[in-house]
Amino acid sequence: MLRMAVPGSRRSQLLRGVLDLCLLAVMDEGAAYGYEMTKRLAARGLSIVGEGSIYPLLGRLERDGLVDTRRAISNGGPPRKYYSLSRQGRKALAAGISEWQATREAVDSVLGRIKEEVG
Amino acid sequence: MLRFVDECRKEWRRLGVPDAVAGEMAADLEADLAEAQAEGVSPEAVLGNGFFDARSFAASWASARGVVPGAKRPQERPRWSRWALVLLAAVSFVVTLGGLAALGGGRQASVARVSIGHISASPFGGPHGVFIGPNLPSPVAFSHSAVFAVVGLLFVAAGLIGLALTLWLWRPWATRRRRRGFDDSVGLPSYL
Repeated sequence: MLRMAVPGSRRSQLLRGVLDLCLLAVMDEGAAYGYEMTKRLAARGLSIVGEGSIYPLLGRLERDGLVDTRRAISNGGPPRKYYSLSRQGRKALAAGISEWQATREAVDSVLGRIKEEVG
Repeated sequence: MLRFVDECRKEWRRLGVPDAVAGEMAADLEADLAEAQAEGVSPEAVLGNGFFDARSFAASWASARGVVPGAKRPQERPRWSRWALVLLAAVSFVVTLGGLAALGGGRQASVARVSIGHISASPFGGPHGVFIGPNLPSPVAFSHSAVFAVVGLLFVAAGLIGLALTLWLWRPWATRRRRRGFDDSVGLPSYL
């Protein structure tokens, strides 16, 4: 039997599909360590409270060669692991953005019509 | 907070994550959580739901990084190996069919020869009413039949071995097992 996802669960599911892309996007602004990326995401309204963590995702991106890493001293703090986009990561980001835009437009064209009817 | 990091360390040790890697992950985690605390940010805002289950969080992170011994992600097979498997299956199938045909052909030839021998051997069947005696297949006919049988059997055996080999090589794709802490359907940690 099909069940509709509850709103919170739907947000999680949507986030699962694009969080890696969002991480690559914030890395495109410059190398960053884990918590710094969380802050960049939050500054754009993407809070991960109640969601999963970005650390396993960063691990996967690293393993897949989409990010380069280096250890460096942070602002007066302990050495941190900085993540930056690799060449492969840039390609993946570009491809992912195209996919996201195409998907978003298609979904908008379906849901937007309903919204007009309801409104 | 330190307790959370300690729980993660324990899980990584239990999973057999190399000490150097576990130490690096623990140090990053500790530094991030300390910075968040200094800024008045809750650990949940840094770790998401992972904060409530240190072991799952640690296992997912290690698994995603590919540092858990014996839990390596199955590598994608190159396209050529798939085609090689398809070719092997096709050739094996054809060889098996060829072997069966050879066996069937040999048997038919034998039956035909035996039938001719019976007619000739009939005391009433001789063209001049002369008992000809049993018309046994010649040594050449025997050798042809035997060759058919041997070649047929060899082909069938080779074909079946080839098909079995194809199945054996194909099996890892069909029975790819789900790993703890990783969601194969989306390629993300399962709790994310």
